[in-house]
Amino acid sequence: MSMFLLAPAALAALAALLLPLLIHLARRSEQRPTDFAALRWLRQKPRPRHRLRFDEWPLLLLRLLLLALLALWLARPMLGGSGGAAPWVAVVPGVDIEAARATINDPAARLHWLAPGSPALEQPAPSGPQPIASLLRQLDAELPPGVVLTVVVPELLQGVDAERPRLSRAIEWRVLPGAMPAPEVTPPVTAPRFAVRHASDREDAVRYLRAAASAWQAGPNPSAEAAAPHFSAGPTSQPVDAHTRWLAWLAPGALQPAIDAWVKDGGIILVDAETTLAPGQPRVVVWHDALGSPLVEAIRHGKGRVLRLTRPLAPATMPQLLEPEFPRQLRALFENPALAPTRVSARDYSPLAGGDSYPQAPRDLQPWLAMLIALLLLLERWLATRRRRGVAP
Amino acid sequence: MQDLIPAQVRSRLKELRLVSRRATGQQGIGLHHSRSRGAGLEFSQYRAYEPGDELRQIDWKLYARSDRFFVREAERESPLAAWILIDASASMAQQDALRPGWSRLDAAKSLAACIAELALRQGDRFGLVVLSESGLRLVPAGDGARQRDRVLLELHALQAGGTFPATSKLAPVWDRIGASDLVVMLSDCFDAGVVELMQQLSAARREVLAIPMLTVEERDFPFKGGYRFRDPETGEELLGDGDALRIEFLRRFGEAREALHAQLDASGIRHAQYVLDEPLDLPLRRLFGSRDAAEYT
Repeated sequence: MSMFLLAPAALAALAALLLPLLIHLARRSEQRPTDFAALRWLRQKPRPRHRLRFDEWPLLLLRLLLLALLALWLARPMLGGSGGAAPWVAVVPGVDIEAARATINDPAARLHWLAPGSPALEQPAPSGPQPIASLLRQLDAELPPGVVLTVVVPELLQGVDAERPRLSRAIEWRVLPGAMPAPEVTPPVTAPRFAVRHASDREDAVRYLRAAASAWQAGPNPSAEAAAPHFSAGPTSQPVDAHTRWLAWLAPGALQPAIDAWVKDGGIILVDAETTLAPGQPRVVVWHDALGSPLVEAIRHGKGRVLRLTRPLAPATMPQLLEPEFPRQLRALFENPALAPTRVSARDYSPLAGGDSYPQAPRDLQPWLAMLIALLLLLERWLATRRRRGVAP
Repeated sequence: MQDLIPAQVRSRLKELRLVSRRATGQQGIGLHHSRSRGAGLEFSQYRAYEPGDELRQIDWKLYARSDRFFVREAERESPLAAWILIDASASMAQQDALRPGWSRLDAAKSLAACIAELALRQGDRFGLVVLSESGLRLVPAGDGARQRDRVLLELHALQAGGTFPATSKLAPVWDRIGASDLVVMLSDCFDAGVVELMQQLSAARREVLAIPMLTVEERDFPFKGGYRFRDPETGEELLGDGDALRIEFLRRFGEAREALHAQLDASGIRHAQYVLDEPLDLPLRRLFGSRDAAEYT
């Protein structure tokens, strides 16, 4: 626990403490002349008048305190290291709670789930996948440096990232039997059917797409399922097969409503540069050329995506069509990025020590001070205006 | 015109008699019964003839005019003249903060009126001398109701100011106040001149009585906090704190009072201190109370 000031220069306002001192020193009563004929017996031993005397001590003290607090308030006091020093135990969901409690001997330890918001262990276990590594780093950064951190983990962890976390402190890593609930895995794309619908004047472009689609089949190790993306090409009037997942639409003007609904339902469509789209959607450039100018922009549309070419699909404007990398790049446009592996055995994932430590976020004391000041102000007004009071300030 | 004597005090005055130790027994028993009527210098009144009156007391000229017998009655002069001396220096104007409008001088006026009332009732002559810096104001001794009115008129016009007059200005006092007269001094007795005058009068066979008058503030010194004390006569000022000054002042002032009392006692001056919050007749009772001295009727 340490208090510090964000604006120490405001402590110059402490000079205002002189004000009540002067007010109480003025002592108006001393100016009141009094006739006193027996002055000669009063005068004979002049007392030193240098002794400072203040009227109404309680009121003066209260006013001094009030001004001092006000100056402190201006200086924006902060309280650092208020996080407490008791050991912290973070339990990863998937561990049996009773078993986790049994491993903790310290009665002062604070037990929490390792989850966003750090709910207490008494609350139900947080459901769903948790980003374990991220939560661990956050917890380590938020706890004061001296706090002992114990993490109780099940044997199998989900939601980790590819590197063992490096924390600022050496933590106790306890592995108990159990496993984190596995996240739902979306099945990989099995048989992409690629269809091209083109206006009559765009027929030249179709062959590049067809070539790319056939190149997809000629992988080095084509499996039985992923090997045959059906390719079909036709005029725009030809309806799209229901199983088609990827579509290239090479025609100017707006999309047909049926196509639009198909995209919203989860389809991925590659549209021509002259196709008009609904404005206002954020566009992300997903393919640059070597000079950095965009080739393809991606737009979310319902559950699906729209990939918009920025230039006509012709070698003159888009020399990438002729490069051997074109089929792979085209496929990458359509495919979702593969998920990185997030499952790991807890014994192999114990965090390393020696990472950076972060300063603790201090607590702002200004609101509390403001309340105290308001209270004192009320008290001061009451003292200063009550009825039984002398003439002084 | 406001009555200077409160009603209660007036009722209590009946028990009091002006007493002079010097006058009693000096001119023989009975002389002090100044109401003894008969031959005398001062005409007092006519009254109807009663059997037993001396024939020579009948005013025959009046009989010639009115065909009735009247006896011409004269009053012999009282052997006692009471002089009321009032110190009218500025210090007498001091009053208490708790009771404004009741200054030392107001009390002195009331006391003077009381004494005049007593003297009038006894048929004594009485006079008033106001001692102020500008000069003495003097009402010559006399008796009767008109004399009292003259004294009251003078009292009402009285204002305090200045210092106590110098000795050279006090000559009329010696001209007027005869030997064996009763002198009552109403003053705060702070000024050495007052005490000196009283001592001289006493030494010159005048019966001097002193009523030193104090305010409550001088007796108790109830000041709290800072004050600017000002001497009304010299104009000197003193800044001081009441609490810090109290003990020292009370000690010094008490000593000064003791010294004054001893001085007065040594000079044979009877005195009764009066503080402004006391009943007005208290000093008179102390001085003239029936228990204290032989009665003078």
